[in-house]
Amino acid sequence: MGYEIQEEKVFNSGHAACPGCSEALALRFILNTLGKDAIAVVPPSCIAIISGPQPLSSMSIPVYQTTLEASAASAAGIKRALISKGNNHTNVVAIAGDGGTYDIGFQALSAAAERNEDIIYVCLDNEGYMNTGTQKSSATPSMAFTTSTPAGKLSPKKNVPEIMVAHNIPYMATATTGYPDDLVRKVKKAMEIKGGLRFINVLTPCLAGWGVPDSAGPKTSRLAVQSGIYPLYEVENGETYTLNYGPNGLSVADYVATQKRYRHLSPEDVELLQAEVNHDWEKLQKKFK
Amino acid sequence: MSGTVKRVPSIWTTGSTDILNTGTWRSAIAVHEKRPAPCYGACPVDGEIPIWVQQVRNEEFNAAWLTLVENNPIPAAIGRTCHRPCEGACNRTEYDGAVSINALEQYVGDMAIREGWAFPAPAQESQKMVAVIGGGPAGLSCAYQLRRKGIQVTIFDANPELGGVLRYGVPEYRLPKKMVAAEIERITDLGVKVVAGRKLTGEDLGELEKNFSAIFVAFGAHDAKRLPLFTKSDSRVLDGIDFLRSIRLDAPLKIGRKIVVIGGGSVAMDVAGSALRLGQQAQILALEGRAVMPAPEDEIEDVIEEGALLHDGAMVKAVEDLSGSLLLHCINVELDQNVSPGVIRPIEIAGTEFTLEADTVVLAIGQDPELADWEDRIQVSKGMAVVDADYKTSRAGVFAAGDVANIERFVSTAVGDGKRAAYSIARYLGHQDAVEEGFADSVKEVSFKDINTFYFPTQKPVERGKVDVDIRKAGFAEIRLGLTDEQALDQARRCFSCGSCIECDNCAIFCPDMAILKDADSPLYYKVLDQYCKGCGCCLEECPRGAMGVKEETK
Ligand SMILES: Cc1cc2nc3c(=O)[nH]c(=O)nc-3n(C[C@H](O)[C@H](O)[C@H](O)COP(=O)(O)OP(=O)(O)OC[C@H]3O[C@@H](n4cnc5c(N)ncnc54)[C@H](O)[C@@H]3O)c2cc1C
Ligand SMILES: Cc1ncc(C[n+]2csc(CCOP(=O)(O)OP(=O)(O)O)c2C)c(N)n1
Ligand code: SF4
Ligand SMILES: [Mg+2]
Repeated sequence: MGYEIQEEKVFNSGHAACPGCSEALALRFILNTLGKDAIAVVPPSCIAIISGPQPLSSMSIPVYQTTLEASAASAAGIKRALISKGNNHTNVVAIAGDGGTYDIGFQALSAAAERNEDIIYVCLDNEGYMNTGTQKSSATPSMAFTTSTPAGKLSPKKNVPEIMVAHNIPYMATATTGYPDDLVRKVKKAMEIKGGLRFINVLTPCLAGWGVPDSAGPKTSRLAVQSGIYPLYEVENGETYTLNYGPNGLSVADYVATQKRYRHLSPEDVELLQAEVNHDWEKLQKKFK
Repeated sequence: MSGTVKRVPSIWTTGSTDILNTGTWRSAIAVHEKRPAPCYGACPVDGEIPIWVQQVRNEEFNAAWLTLVENNPIPAAIGRTCHRPCEGACNRTEYDGAVSINALEQYVGDMAIREGWAFPAPAQESQKMVAVIGGGPAGLSCAYQLRRKGIQVTIFDANPELGGVLRYGVPEYRLPKKMVAAEIERITDLGVKVVAGRKLTGEDLGELEKNFSAIFVAFGAHDAKRLPLFTKSDSRVLDGIDFLRSIRLDAPLKIGRKIVVIGGGSVAMDVAGSALRLGQQAQILALEGRAVMPAPEDEIEDVIEEGALLHDGAMVKAVEDLSGSLLLHCINVELDQNVSPGVIRPIEIAGTEFTLEADTVVLAIGQDPELADWEDRIQVSKGMAVVDADYKTSRAGVFAAGDVANIERFVSTAVGDGKRAAYSIARYLGHQDAVEEGFADSVKEVSFKDINTFYFPTQKPVERGKVDVDIRKAGFAEIRLGLTDEQALDQARRCFSCGSCIECDNCAIFCPDMAILKDADSPLYYKVLDQYCKGCGCCLEECPRGAMGVKEETK
């Protein structure tokens, strides 16, 4: 009984993530699955903070801290340099936040995907610029409170997973920390599929930013999946869709009830959100075999 | 240039964050902790239900049985007769129905009989001797626990064979005699001396005290209560326990065609079921409404299916002798709610009078212990032997438990009392280490909200099947079908294992700080690294079964 997860210790204790942080948990599964033969590229974000105060590092692999715009370009450059030196084995992985992915680093990511660079790109999506004090990003969902959307965000979340699929990259997957075995399997699969850009969007609830207790990261992540807000699925070569975990009868109301960022919603607002989720899910569902 | 200058960046990674002490951030730390499950809390024998059910799940059947018999030496019998407070308390009730604990207990108990599993012999023998008066569930349980501690035991019983109500009361169709016999033999095989067919009186006490260091009084309650409306000498009026006993002795007392059973408990249902099997018609007159009758609902349902007519919430007011049969003048009643607990005051509902004709009336309205000749030797109050929390009577060296000393008349209660009395007797005899393991008061029982239901897919409970009603009525063969292997494993898998770690590793897996490690030396399997734990509580939340607690820290 329980999860069977093999880990190679890369991610270390003593890091500076908040208690219960889902980004730290995601980093644990991602880095410990990638193993030691990897180089990470990290832009400004909570991930950068978690990676360690110089001269200490929480990651027992080389980490390059790049600019917020340039994660995909930096990773592609490192990978090309390795190949030109005859190293075809080391995985280069960019691990960036949603602000660094959906907004500021987006053109570099799209360009790298268009060139089909041989890198793994992981977005740790906590639905906002959390490191700088919970501002909205284009990954922030409809109606959610952030310090820059005090009355709730007016536009829906940008669908970057589907945008990445539209680049016809070899592998795109959504994952989250409440399903660690699924996340680990997707990282492994990304490692096995070589020779192109592999993108994984990992939903990582931000405890302070979303207003949930320190202990509730994995639970909140599962609620997102179970209520249909964040289905876990994967797509190969831009066309083969597989659903891993979809909605299981929980509603948007169940999801928003536990988060302070949705505290201002009226029952009518929740209904609107539910309609949006239903619509997205119906659209996505058609794509599965 | 002479030599190369090695250029090192001004900031260079020199080591890992694991030298940092993030443990200083927290104000509370999660601890692995075995906590009591509600089934355990409700179990009259203090059965370690989550443990043995887990052993069943792992298909470690002999181990499961050994865990069971720590507290209860007769699981095949209890697995058929218990009133199952465990299932009422089970955390799974709120989710998709209680785990079928009692059926599982029968499953393991029956397997032990089939496989011929024996109790391990006592590690050492003691010269101390204890007399047990009465070989029913209480006496057997006490004798067994004393023998396990090496103490010498002699059971005296009035009946030709041991078992008490299990052998001479509960009918064959609910509890086959061969199961009772096998479980009793296993106990006596531990070296219990048996003196059967000897009814002891208060007079014998002095003699016993000369030969034994302690005496355990467990002769149950066998003096049937009577209603003043019925004359004692009338051969048309029987006591339920006498009738049932006569069937068990293969010499059934004569009854007429039309039977009216008065009573609403197990005894009444057993009388009705037995009369039906003897080919007669049975009607039951119970004071309480069906929902609050003392008999468990499934026993009521069984006899009604088999053809008994139930008049619940009614009582007999007068009896008319029709020379031949008796005519019972009855009336529906409501029970007065404004009375102190234990008191029953019926209020007649005018205009609801009815009559029942009976060739035989069987009274099943309770039994009192036969204590007349004991009253000047041990203190008796409200018709029962008075005991303290250690089952000591007013007389030094004399202990009592079971129906003789407890108003709660259940088989499992008698077994639990018998066990705890044995520990008390052992301590009295100088075995100071005879103390049962339990939980500290500070450790909280696991409630449903402590269970992380994500880890438990819903799955409906499965109960034992029942033999077709026509076959049931035709004889005294057992009516409930035990669980199949597959059903038993399915039920065992449903158990949350509330409060008992099964090493699923969730606590370690969900720690963002890698502050929980497997620890082979710990009885709780894991250790929490003080240096790193930030006190987030993810482990506690993700533990599926509430096997962790919190320790507040003040720095
Ligand atoms: C017909 C019937 C059905 C029942 N069904 C259920 C049920 O389904 N579930 C449930 O939980 N409970 C049931 N009960 C109640 C339950 O059986 C009792 O609470 C339980 O048996 C009490 O155990 P005990 O050891 O105290 O007494 P008993 O089982 O009564 O055993 C007492 C023993 O002492 C012996 N004895 C009596 N007097 C003397 C003496 N003077 N000298 C020597 N030996 C003596 C008797 O022969 C007997 O063997 C039922 C009771 C009856 C009568
Ligand atoms: C071009 C640029 N703009 C702004 C910043 C300031 N900045 C540093 S971290 C950060 C937040 C990044 O948010 P996200 O990528 O979602 O990561 P998170 O902190 O949520 O993990 C910002 C805006 C920057 N470093 N560079
Ligand atoms: S789920 Fe298992 S451990 Fe929990 S109360 Fe029910 S039987 Fe006992
Ligand atoms: Mg972010």
